[in-house]
Amino acid sequence: VAPTVSDIIEQARLVARAVADFGGQLVHPTVRLGVTGLSRAGKTVFITALLHGLLRGGRFPVFEPLASGRIAGAKLSPQPDDAVPRFDYEAHVRSIVVERDWPQSTRQISELRAVIDYQSASGFMRTLTLDIVDYPGEWLLDLPLLDKSYERWSADTMAYLHRTTRSPLPTQFLARAATIDPFAPADEFAAIEAARLFTEHLQLRRKEHPTLSIIGPGRFLMPGDLAGSPALTFAPLLLPADRVAPSGSVWGMMRRRYDSYRDAVVRPFFRDHFARLDRQIVLVDVLAALDAGPEAMRDLQDAMVAVLDCFRVGRSGWLNALFSPRADRILFAATKADQLHHSAHDRLQAILRQVTDGAIARAGAAGAEVDVIALAAVRATREALVRGDGAGLPSIIGTAVPGEWSDGAQFDGTTEMAFFPCDVPADSTRGGDFRSIRFRPPALEQTDDGIPALPHIRLDRALQFLIGDRLR
Amino acid sequence: MNDIPRKPAVFSVDDPRLLAAELEAAERPSFDLVTAAPDENLPAVAGARKRKIHWGRIFWSALSGLVLLALGLAVTSLIEELYARAPWLGGLGLALAVLAAVALLVVTLREIIGLGRLATVEALRHRALAVIASDDRDGGRALVGELLSLTRRIPRLARARAGIQGHRADIIDGRDLVRLAERELMSPLDLEARRLIIAASKRVSIVTAVSPRAAVDMVFVLINALGLMRRLAVLYGGRPGALGVLRLLRQVVSHLAVTGGVGLADGVVQQVIGHGLAARLSARLGEGMINGLLTARLGLLTIDLVRPLPFHELPRPSLNDLAGTLFRQAESAGEPPGRPKSG
Repeated sequence: VAPTVSDIIEQARLVARAVADFGGQLVHPTVRLGVTGLSRAGKTVFITALLHGLLRGGRFPVFEPLASGRIAGAKLSPQPDDAVPRFDYEAHVRSIVVERDWPQSTRQISELRAVIDYQSASGFMRTLTLDIVDYPGEWLLDLPLLDKSYERWSADTMAYLHRTTRSPLPTQFLARAATIDPFAPADEFAAIEAARLFTEHLQLRRKEHPTLSIIGPGRFLMPGDLAGSPALTFAPLLLPADRVAPSGSVWGMMRRRYDSYRDAVVRPFFRDHFARLDRQIVLVDVLAALDAGPEAMRDLQDAMVAVLDCFRVGRSGWLNALFSPRADRILFAATKADQLHHSAHDRLQAILRQVTDGAIARAGAAGAEVDVIALAAVRATREALVRGDGAGLPSIIGTAVPGEWSDGAQFDGTTEMAFFPCDVPADSTRGGDFRSIRFRPPALEQTDDGIPALPHIRLDRALQFLIGDRLR
Repeated sequence: MNDIPRKPAVFSVDDPRLLAAELEAAERPSFDLVTAAPDENLPAVAGARKRKIHWGRIFWSALSGLVLLALGLAVTSLIEELYARAPWLGGLGLALAVLAAVALLVVTLREIIGLGRLATVEALRHRALAVIASDDRDGGRALVGELLSLTRRIPRLARARAGIQGHRADIIDGRDLVRLAERELMSPLDLEARRLIIAASKRVSIVTAVSPRAAVDMVFVLINALGLMRRLAVLYGGRPGALGVLRLLRQVVSHLAVTGGVGLADGVVQQVIGHGLAARLSARLGEGMINGLLTARLGLLTIDLVRPLPFHELPRPSLNDLAGTLFRQAESAGEPPGRPKSG
């Protein structure tokens, strides 16, 4: 495919920005940490726990700079982009620590910068700036659109909608789409109607499977101030493969709107937040997909492959850093590992490896360092063993979120209970009876100096891998 | 073991089958769990050697058996003779013989324990390497438990040990656990080891520089090196007896034969000569420095053998960075005795 003029301009912009950043990097060493994850993967909690640990000196034995006392302190500082809202760190901490509720699902993009003062191993006082961006996971589904034409996206989406067997089924939209003739003259009302049905279906899916809304575009779910604009009023159509769009037709109109959605929404999002990452962590909620069954697992895998293809990873030399920055370390983390006994974490990691197989191979081949871990940014449970036949059931103890259920029992959100979530299958394609229950954040004892460190699982290992080498 | 997936299940917190508190209590000291572990692992290391008939060994064993018998016979007849002379003399002789036997037994036992501890340290190091490679969590926990019990007599590590104990309830993977243990437990010991080596090297270079005869400083270098090895082994939690130190010496020398001569020739001597030190100072002083460096090299090799964890997280001390400190000190300390010689 020949690059269009807008593609070339986009590349030129990316290079110009990379060169500008390179200059700033020499003065203030900065790590741009990309926190990637579909919605409900735990991005906000991860960022909150990470900042809380850095600012308050958390319990991070494996994170060497902090454990050996080389980090003198860390503080929040004003972020570089004035147009982006600030990540509401204080509210999220209050929500987790005081109210014991997980933060609300993220509805808009936000950003925060932390400055770490540390002493290098050779004795110089230095600072490292850490830029982190939080955003709704739904938007991530837009990234695959960057390289797709309208025709390609339409064919893929239609194929998926016809194939899927997970409720809710898109029967209404498909019936309507079948009656639209792409060669007919453009009709605004037909377009609005089709887009409405398509959007409704997406919303329904999201309500049914909050963790795994697999098809985009993401702004259809969270339109913000773009609601009702033509850029958000398009839908996939049944298109013949070997024809071109005649001008003035429904097809032509949809294609133009798709292109403007891509140019006005997706590209700035990618350019501002993902094109220049130094380090990347990919959060995947494997357990929810396991709970939902094999098809959800396949959907998750497809989504991860499509999303991760968009990122630039690979060994980073100074020439690359100057013109096309790329993430040279990428960490795949299965979040909410506290829903499992630690003896099952190896299985969880193995499944995550299966899910992100392609991305891991690609990153490894490009020279990036890759690691896969099971992680819980905030550990909401503790472990126990229930005596029984054989070795007993390795279980966890915690307070379930009100409304969660298992075994026909509903939890009220105040009493603690022990839970065995079923053995994790060795193979992700076998569903099994796995149950994933959300637990409330842990009750912390208030100490004299304020809030104690949040418990976690392997957050320190993640930090060591992501920024440990920049704090030498 | 998990061929049939077990179903999810919910239990109330006061279910009598729940082992939450007891599990954590059992995990915290965990030494009894840990002591069972070497039985699985140690024979695997030792058993890897092939059994073969060593005629030389049989000869020496048989010969020493004979010597022991002769000794026993001589002692018995001596005591009998003493009894024949006077009963109280016989009693005294018997008491002395028993005392000697008991002392010999204790010394032998201590030697055996010392050798055993050295072997334990070596096995720990091999297991640490295996854990680092495999990232095995249970292996790492068992290893750290043994490490804690090995170092429990080292007072300066009390705080570090408490810190590690505190992290035992956390979920940390094998490799990270080994790294953590190395950083917490080994870094104070590494510093002290460095100090010991520098002190010993300094002594050797000064004595060599001022000693009147080559034979004297040869003996001094040997004794000093043996003392250094012993101190290093004790520092890292081993308690070698005379046999243990001899075994260490053998390993170190064989190690030195493989890597040492070359390493000494290229880097440091060049540095010495390049500095113009050898030209500036007398020949004796230059010799002293070479001897000091040799001692430092022996010390570094000994650390490799007696340190229960491999150098993974922390940097391995190198001869070059020791040499810098050493020369600065040796120059200032070595010049006063060197002056009358050169002048």
